[in-house]
Amino acid sequence: MSNFRIAGKGRVNRSRQVRFSFDGVDYTGCEGDTLASALLANGVHLVGRSFKYHRPRGILSAGSEEPNALVGSNRGNGRFEPNTRATVLEVFEGLKTESQNRWPSLTRDIGAVNDALYMLFSAGFYYKTFMWPKSFWDKVYEPVIRNAAGLGKAPTAPDPDVYASRFAHCDVLVVGGGAAGLAAALEAGRSGASVILCDEQSEIGGSLLSEPTAEINGQLAWDWLEDTNAALAAMPNVTVLPRTTAIGYYHQNFVGLCQRLTDHLSIVPDGAPRERMWKVRAKQVVLAQGAIEKPLVFAGNDRPGVMLAGAARTYLNRYGVKVGNRVVIVTSHDSAWHAAFDLAKAGVEVAAIVDVRGTVPTQLVAAADALRIKTLIGWTITGTKGRLRVSSVRVNPVTTGGKVGGAETIACDALLMSGGWTPSIHLFSHTQGSLTWNEDGQMFLPGRGKEECRLAGAGKGRFGLKAAFEDGAAAGAAAAADAGFTAQPASYHVEGELSFTGVTGRELPTDRDPGHAKAFVDFQNDVMAKDIRLAVREGFKSIEHIKRYTTNGMATDQGKTSNINGLAVASDALKRPIPAVGLTTFRPPYTPTSFGTFAGYNKGELFEVTRKTPIDGWAAENGAVFEPVSLWRRAWYFPQVGEDMHAAVARECKAVRSSLGMFDASTLGKIEIVGPDAAEFMNRMYTNAWTKLAPGRCRYGLLLGEDGFIRDDGVIGRLSHDRFHVTTTTGGAARVLNMMEDYLQTEWPDLKVWLTSTTEQWSVIALQGPNARKLIEPFVEGIDLSEGAFPHMAVATGKIFGVPTRLFRVSFTGELGFEINVPARYGRAVWEKLFEAGQRFGITPYGTETMHVLRAEKGYIIVGQDTDGTLTPDDAGLSWAVGKTKPDFVGKRSLSRPDMLVPNRKQLVGLLTSDPKTVLEEGAQIVLDPNQPVPMDMVGHVTSSYWSAELGRSIALAVIQGGRSLQGQTVHVPMPDKVHAATITGMVFVDPENTRLSA
Amino acid sequence: MLLIRCPYCEAERPEVEFTYAGEAHIARPADPSALSDEEWRDFLFIRTNPRGRHFERWRHMHGCGRFFNAVRDTVTDKFAMTYKAGTPRPSDEEIALAVSASSAATPAEEARP
Amino acid sequence: MLLANHPLLGKTIPGDTASRLSIRAAEDVARFSLRIDPAAAQSAGAAFGTPLPTRIGRLVEAGGRMALQLGPDEWVLTAPVAESDGIADAFAALQEPHSLVDIGHREVGILVEGEAAALALRAAIAFDVDAMAVGTGCRTLFDKAQIVLIREDKNRFRIEVWRSFADHVWGILHAVSREIALGL
Repeated sequence: MSNFRIAGKGRVNRSRQVRFSFDGVDYTGCEGDTLASALLANGVHLVGRSFKYHRPRGILSAGSEEPNALVGSNRGNGRFEPNTRATVLEVFEGLKTESQNRWPSLTRDIGAVNDALYMLFSAGFYYKTFMWPKSFWDKVYEPVIRNAAGLGKAPTAPDPDVYASRFAHCDVLVVGGGAAGLAAALEAGRSGASVILCDEQSEIGGSLLSEPTAEINGQLAWDWLEDTNAALAAMPNVTVLPRTTAIGYYHQNFVGLCQRLTDHLSIVPDGAPRERMWKVRAKQVVLAQGAIEKPLVFAGNDRPGVMLAGAARTYLNRYGVKVGNRVVIVTSHDSAWHAAFDLAKAGVEVAAIVDVRGTVPTQLVAAADALRIKTLIGWTITGTKGRLRVSSVRVNPVTTGGKVGGAETIACDALLMSGGWTPSIHLFSHTQGSLTWNEDGQMFLPGRGKEECRLAGAGKGRFGLKAAFEDGAAAGAAAAADAGFTAQPASYHVEGELSFTGVTGRELPTDRDPGHAKAFVDFQNDVMAKDIRLAVREGFKSIEHIKRYTTNGMATDQGKTSNINGLAVASDALKRPIPAVGLTTFRPPYTPTSFGTFAGYNKGELFEVTRKTPIDGWAAENGAVFEPVSLWRRAWYFPQVGEDMHAAVARECKAVRSSLGMFDASTLGKIEIVGPDAAEFMNRMYTNAWTKLAPGRCRYGLLLGEDGFIRDDGVIGRLSHDRFHVTTTTGGAARVLNMMEDYLQTEWPDLKVWLTSTTEQWSVIALQGPNARKLIEPFVEGIDLSEGAFPHMAVATGKIFGVPTRLFRVSFTGELGFEINVPARYGRAVWEKLFEAGQRFGITPYGTETMHVLRAEKGYIIVGQDTDGTLTPDDAGLSWAVGKTKPDFVGKRSLSRPDMLVPNRKQLVGLLTSDPKTVLEEGAQIVLDPNQPVPMDMVGHVTSSYWSAELGRSIALAVIQGGRSLQGQTVHVPMPDKVHAATITGMVFVDPENTRLSA
Repeated sequence: MLLIRCPYCEAERPEVEFTYAGEAHIARPADPSALSDEEWRDFLFIRTNPRGRHFERWRHMHGCGRFFNAVRDTVTDKFAMTYKAGTPRPSDEEIALAVSASSAATPAEEARP
Repeated sequence: MLLANHPLLGKTIPGDTASRLSIRAAEDVARFSLRIDPAAAQSAGAAFGTPLPTRIGRLVEAGGRMALQLGPDEWVLTAPVAESDGIADAFAALQEPHSLVDIGHREVGILVEGEAAALALRAAIAFDVDAMAVGTGCRTLFDKAQIVLIREDKNRFRIEVWRSFADHVWGILHAVSREIALGL
């Protein structure tokens, strides 16, 4: 491989060579290289194929704005990322990279046939070319297009990396570590303000890294930079974050930063996060993000070897890499001339400087003459040649009248272009700050801001180092002052400034038909100037519509290099000035950001909170299968060897009905309601009457929303005159407490009552079955468990196995039952004691599935399963739980609204299938006449459906319009296999007389 | 993430500690049974949903636990002020006063080139 | 008495050096949630044996007992486990209407100590932990888990978290301590 590294140039560490590969070929780079600089050092320009036309593409830029050079990067151990920008990716020993969107290889790519068929793929081709026949869209066109077009392939294996996040608060956040940002950080840091300075590059310095010969206050730029970095590092109030991109700017100066921690390391320490999301709240923000160079728009401007002039200068000065041996410059702006000069001085042959302007500053022409560089002032470029790398350019003179003369061809292996510079106002735009069009500079500049934010330097249109330093210093000092500190901005003396005048790029004039020119505007989405003109011809006038129709600026680079050029082409086509055409909106993130960074710690086990009960460990050790219930994981069933779920649940059900089962009910929501007005509060919240409930007794409580629909239910025990122990559904605990607090705080603040969540204070063990009392009697102290003293729906405090208990005599199974509340730290020990002692009754642990079957056999509802937020107490058959004589409770007034009184409301009923073996699907729709045409009139749906081992048949609950009046009638349930007939019944299937409760 | 001033804690706290709780100053009628169906419907369902200034309720759920009221602009998302539950709807003058007291001189002008 | 158990019982996360970061489960304490009209805070303080703080976020500590005000009418009281019954009895005799609820088993304590303690907490706490005054406490969110955070000293924090959320908090602290040990 030829070596394009130039001795004595650049900042990369020549003594630290690293080996990496691209498309299976091994290369050597230096520590400090990006993949792009390392490939260019090896003479590689061709790095990818374009999105739509599969055109060969090279490296356009030297920064995060890169639209072309996207590669798949493999950092080993399953760490693969598609669409990594080669200009950002730092090389390290062992890095493996590959090109994308090509088959079978980058140099010979079948998809390149699209380039010849480009007329098919013009703006809006999706909507036009492939509309007929319609049936072909899903099956043929779309899959083929999707397969051929596109970027890299997403990895299919889970991301092996971990990610981090961190909140930070500071006085001044400075985004961008170039001249302006450094000056701002210095001023703010010296003032004593807490400062965070972030920059997306691996090294702080911005454009200073490409300006080794400039002198700042008498120091060479790199010496000044070294001293400045040391000065900032010595300030304990300043945090400097390289490799950290400010991706989004949100309300109240909340800025998201993505810090890359380990992507540049060849060996990643175990457990080291790949990236960290900083969530910074800054009192003041200084945005010093610099400017992005614009490409010129002309035929063949996308060929490998065609590059931004500023990028070529960066590769030369920062990385010590020449981008070619014989280069041509084409420009509308002074800055590209400096690239030519630097390259010429480094020994690169500069074949010509083509400047499309009629006049150019004389000192530039003089400097070019001194270096014997041919200058073509007032010329245009009308084409390039070279299949996989530019080999020549076609240039033509343009008369003052705009007439394009005869062409000349100049051989070259690199073409460097500049259409001027676009201030990076992306983050400012995130704040919805307004933009103003600057006619002189042909650029959008920040207008009125909406946050405590300043811009500085090139990002605000202040080009040149001195302007950037002084603007940055002023912004830093002012930001510090606004944050309450005192600062006096320093002044800067700079030698060796670049010249920064120019005109903005329009599509360059040509002697050929511009309707056939492959003059690219958006390289990543393959949008050409003629596509934009076509969109205008087809009637699109708004830039937002043109953007979406042509996809200009919609790629992963968000049009960093294409937006202004696209706007200029649209403006010409619409014959309206640029500010009248407008600019599309920039949105976060500033650059593509991994999902992992957004997820932070929330992946794998920490994806979401998994709440576990004190007894969870026992269940896990004893083979429980778990199911998620809100944030909890609950034991679903306890299969024994050889059992499937059906067998396990049947066995568990049988054990409870015949002897004894035990169930972990710890997840039940619990609220302690205490105070002299506790009963009054209960009266107002719940439908039931509470005043007369004696201490030591329980009642089923039904809670409605103000709209009259069932919100929650649970058994409530009165412990004393002024203390209630309320239980809620597992999923409803937080919601119910919030609702109660809302009423208490804002409607009835006069009530002397307070609410405390005790869900996790108590571990709850439900013992259910005819032998329940026999089991616990020997172990309970202080409570007379006899039927007379402690009947169904009683509650008492005492001790069990020596630990305090709140013992409830309740049943959600229809059997004799207790719910033993013990302080949570004793939950597991009490459970184990009961399990041990219960062996003589064949005690059987059961899970939520058995609990569901047993309660359904008794017609006990589950709020949220049998109700869906549209059922009133009457709909659910719970009118008995409504205190008719109470003057008011939450939801009462709604129960008499007209809609609540119509006879045909959906009501909860039982269903028995004609075939007892059929277990209906929960959620299945119900119809009265199965022979009616589709769509059928659906009168309800199945809410609960199980196999009842007790009955040896299936049972179901359902809501059906006017269901209670249809008892005994047959309805039909269409399911995928067939339509099942079922009979409407009452809701209680087992022991309707409740004799077992008091067994 | 917004910063919200809790009028009970007397401190600005991050938005994640708060939950939104709908429009403010809609008191539950003292005697719902005295309301017509239409009046009750309006109480239940009809809200102002303004573009701009909105009087609304928040709860410092993961903080002091209190419900309170806020004046927020639904376009800019900016809070003009927050105040304790049970205090009356602030007047235009009070809101203007709160805004001018909380916002220091804005450097928006300086963002201009 | 039976074996008392909680998810973090006896657990520690060793940092790189104990001085930089050390995380461990706290010894058990008795905990109560006290709700009372702030006008009656003085008599409640008398019942508790330690005066109650009178501003949200402030805490008072004396003789092994601690009172932290969490809301306008809400305090959390802690004491050695053995003093639990005595505290309950003392409040039972308090005339002013109030609510005292035992939450000793609801929560688990985690101690985060060392020079990097605040940095570690900043991984998952949105408010400005660095600016939190010593001797204050508040309810907040740690990632998705509600906690009470107390700054006992410049480099010592105590997290109180509902027991079923403790594993989640612990898991994040574990990941964070690894980053900090690696100097990342």
